[in-house]
Amino acid sequence: MGRPVAIIGVGQTKHGRRMDVSYPDLVREAVLRVFEDTGLTPDDIDGVVSGTMPSMMEGVALTHFYFADAMQAVGKPIMKTETCGSTGVSIAHTAFYWVSSGMADIVLAVGHEKMNEGDSQATMTTVAEPFYQHYFAAGAPGVFSMQSRLWADRYGISEEKIRDAAAYISKTHHDSAFDNPYAHVKVKVTIEDVKNSKIISSPVRLLDVCPNSDGACAVIFASEEAVHKLGREKVAWVRGIGFRGEEYYFGDSDKVVWQSAIQAAKEAYDQAGIKDPKKDLDVAEVYNPFTFQEMMFYECFGFCGFGEAPDMVLGGAFARGGQLPCAPSGGTLCTNPIGATGLIRVAEAALQVMGKAGDHQIPGAKMALGHAMGGIDQFNGVMIVGSEF
Amino acid sequence: MVNKVAIVEASQNAGAESKDNFYDQAYRVVKEVLDKAGMVRKDIDTVVSASSDIFHGGISCANAYYWESSAAFLKPGSRQDGESLFALAYASMRIMTGKHDTALVVGLCKGSENPENDTCTHMYTDPFYQRQIGLNETVAAAMQMRLYMERYGVTEEQCAKVAVKNLGNALRNPYAHRKGMYTVDDILNSERVIDPLTTMQIAPKSEGIIALILASEDEAKKLTNKPVWLKGYGSSLDTFNFGDRDLLNGQLKNAASRAYKMAGITNPGKEVDLAEITEPYAFQELLWCEDLGFCAPGEGGKFIDSGVTQRDGALPVNASGGVLANNPYVSRGLQRAVEAFLQIRGEAGEHQVGKKVKTALAHGTHGFAGQCHAVAILGM
Repeated sequence: MGRPVAIIGVGQTKHGRRMDVSYPDLVREAVLRVFEDTGLTPDDIDGVVSGTMPSMMEGVALTHFYFADAMQAVGKPIMKTETCGSTGVSIAHTAFYWVSSGMADIVLAVGHEKMNEGDSQATMTTVAEPFYQHYFAAGAPGVFSMQSRLWADRYGISEEKIRDAAAYISKTHHDSAFDNPYAHVKVKVTIEDVKNSKIISSPVRLLDVCPNSDGACAVIFASEEAVHKLGREKVAWVRGIGFRGEEYYFGDSDKVVWQSAIQAAKEAYDQAGIKDPKKDLDVAEVYNPFTFQEMMFYECFGFCGFGEAPDMVLGGAFARGGQLPCAPSGGTLCTNPIGATGLIRVAEAALQVMGKAGDHQIPGAKMALGHAMGGIDQFNGVMIVGSEF
Repeated sequence: MVNKVAIVEASQNAGAESKDNFYDQAYRVVKEVLDKAGMVRKDIDTVVSASSDIFHGGISCANAYYWESSAAFLKPGSRQDGESLFALAYASMRIMTGKHDTALVVGLCKGSENPENDTCTHMYTDPFYQRQIGLNETVAAAMQMRLYMERYGVTEEQCAKVAVKNLGNALRNPYAHRKGMYTVDDILNSERVIDPLTTMQIAPKSEGIIALILASEDEAKKLTNKPVWLKGYGSSLDTFNFGDRDLLNGQLKNAASRAYKMAGITNPGKEVDLAEITEPYAFQELLWCEDLGFCAPGEGGKFIDSGVTQRDGALPVNASGGVLANNPYVSRGLQRAVEAFLQIRGEAGEHQVGKKVKTALAHGTHGFAGQCHAVAILGM
């Protein structure tokens, strides 16, 4: 339903600790790159969607004002989408609906974050209200540790096994990041390095955790008519989208059989006609700021049964060359400018089905999933793209 | 041509400080709009809210906090930041695609739990230049007002008349936060905050949870016999650097022309029956009337003198009292849409205008001197 919509190009910054550019210049770098990639000019754009994490992150509020010029959005219709960590995928959803509704033909979506100018964990602490949760659900690692413990305990997975599987994920993603020119952390790590790295919040260790990155991502969405008019062959058609949010209070919901993740994926699968995701998907850019949590997403997204992820990981099912390669870009684990991260997942999924992912291309990828998670484990958003509509 | 979208019901809360906590306040307004429409939560396909982290009582990721109390639990949804008319547009787009038949739009801003509005708007500045000079929305507006008076000869008295009109209109609006019968002298003699702006020409800081239910054409016909249609929508963003802008030649014209084009309006002064305009500073109503094409450039002062924009005039502007009476910063644009909706339906109660309203305009703006504008045209 609605008009078919395709991603026709993407632009990313070199992500990392970007003290060489101001925040607007970081945004400009991604935006100019998507114009270079598509051969379009700002005149071709009917609307701009912007989004980021909360204003406390960099100390500037309502950043569409600040980035009006960097996004080439002066005089343009504008939308500002924010849903916390899931912002990036929500930006992509907004651009999709804008084009699909017929209100615009070509829309530029821009996500951005310059985390080295602020204190990300202090910011995340303010997502929790000041009366109850603030004291214990503060910051990301603590929350993800509790969730990991609950999951391992529920299915009786041994400490050793989840540790081995998480280390395997960390090692393979860090390897993959070397094949992604835009990735932030490029460090060769061994399984032993991961297992022996500093404990952040047990069982989570330093190499289980994503970095603070500066980065921006820009993606151009176009209607079927515009795709034909522009004569584009290699595009990524939006095949399915899903988004769900659940209880605000962390203790109110089951974060293992995690409904927002399960239902967001199901909504997207139904639209895309996906019955068996492990078979029907060729690549999944799962949002993985923490190794352990990545395994929970495999289960909630139906890539394997509940409690089975560690065995599947250790068997190589989700590695490059496996049945369903996950995060071949190195993923969020190696690059996390939060407001851009979800859009980077969608962009990477699009690059895969367009056959433009370069050294981390999964050969013959036709259907790919991009995902982001936000809030205190509260929101999940998914976008599925395919080489054919 | 896009698919039709209707507003089928709306609700709002009063602008004065409420003893309710944010959850209860959101829940009550959302429950009220569902009850009015004869719907329950499961009848809503998607929820799009509008709020801003900077206007959210110090809690970040605003949507996380009120997700359940605004009926969005395990529903497809999203959030717009800054301008609540964006949420009206986004929810409408969701229906236009045919993926959803009904949508709930909620704007949320609990002014009583926020610092002063300008403590927040100051955070729009870049940290290098504009923050150092103390720029905020009121400082920006004062400069814009000075320029407006100098370039066009508009007088302080004419600007003050907007406050007299709107605060007087607000006497008839039970939701209004600030209201009263005042004279031009009362307005001009109130405390001069940032010259030439006086307290009574500056909008207050209010509570505002606003909810609307939207529906596709087929679904709207089942839900109401008085649907109000979204006929047009447009928005536009201006450049960031304050000194680079001509403050009297901004982006509202662009936003309005997009909305008029979609609605097929060629002569807005004649075809728009009523307007609800976001005027956080009294003089801005005059300037925005010019940009909306209701009068010629520079004629805003004469326009208010003519009486056209009075509640019983030919083109009533802010019959509800506008933003000078009620200013829940983020949700004020959506509140304008609710007021326009009520006037079209003839359900505005004591502040219902005498003339028949077939087409009404709702306008929202945020940012320094109107850096961003959104315009929605609603009609029968």
